[in-house]
Amino acid sequence: MGRIDDIAGKRPFRVPANYFDDVTRRILSATADKEAVPPLRKKSFRINHFLAAAAAIALLAVLSYVTVKMFSREETRSFVTGITIEEFSETYLNEIDILSLEESAEPLLFTGELPDVSKADIIDYLTLDNIDVSEIYELL
Amino acid sequence: MNSPEQDKELLQLLRNDINKGFRLVVEQYSSRLYWHIRRMVILHEDADDALQNTLINAWKNIYEFRNKSSLYTWLYTIATNESLSILKKRKRNESVSVDEIGGYLASSVEGAAWFDGDEAQVKLQNAILRLPEKQRLVFNLKYFDEMTYEDMSRVLKTSEGALKASYHLAVKKIEKFLGEN
Repeated sequence: MGRIDDIAGKRPFRVPANYFDDVTRRILSATADKEAVPPLRKKSFRINHFLAAAAAIALLAVLSYVTVKMFSREETRSFVTGITIEEFSETYLNEIDILSLEESAEPLLFTGELPDVSKADIIDYLTLDNIDVSEIYELL
Repeated sequence: MNSPEQDKELLQLLRNDINKGFRLVVEQYSSRLYWHIRRMVILHEDADDALQNTLINAWKNIYEFRNKSSLYTWLYTIATNESLSILKKRKRNESVSVDEIGGYLASSVEGAAWFDGDEAQVKLQNAILRLPEKQRLVFNLKYFDEMTYEDMSRVLKTSEGALKASYHLAVKKIEKFLGEN
């Protein structure tokens, strides 16, 4: 024997009597109380809508917070200390002797030649840093 | 095997009445799926478990199927995966050696109760069981189920050329085994 075609019969296994009727009944009864799962694509589409809405709300919240914070910097009241710049000037800057500070700082800060920075550059820098130049002039 | 027209009608029924359609799927496919699984896993209890899992999984994903064209290849794909899963489990917790299953079926009382073949059938089963899993699947689908290479390529996600070569090699190996034993 060397050819598989010589072997008759293609189902050499037995099954219990009425097996196929029985298994059909079992499967139908097992699936009767189970819901078929709706298409995944539709479900994920719905989830994406929810995610998009949640993301939009989160983005709005972040933008609102950033905007409020940016405009708040224009106000005179500081977030950190809870005191106004005027109060700060009165309670802190007025108590120190600016000239003596300059004298004591000079040897440390300007040990050599002054860097080649124009007054306009310094004023631009101070303006960019949101510092009121006129106030500094007044103090000086 | 259902003709494409029969599957088309079944598909239409599934779209119109999912419960009625699924009942027909079970009635028309449970037998051929069982035999496909049984040839792979050999033992009836395992085949019974795999068949139930196949059809319950098919039901759970029936909406997904309704958008597909071939019911036949879709069900065979699920059944094949279930069979391979049973074989993997058995390898981990092996009570009966797969290689000796032919002998087990022929010689033991329990085995003989489920085996209907003669000595030649036992030899054929032993020869088939010596093939690597994927080659065994290809051989079974072609030789027993008479599946076309085109459909087989959908079920096993392999090119038709590779399947033809695999089947040819399987036949050679089996004939060599039969000639030597």
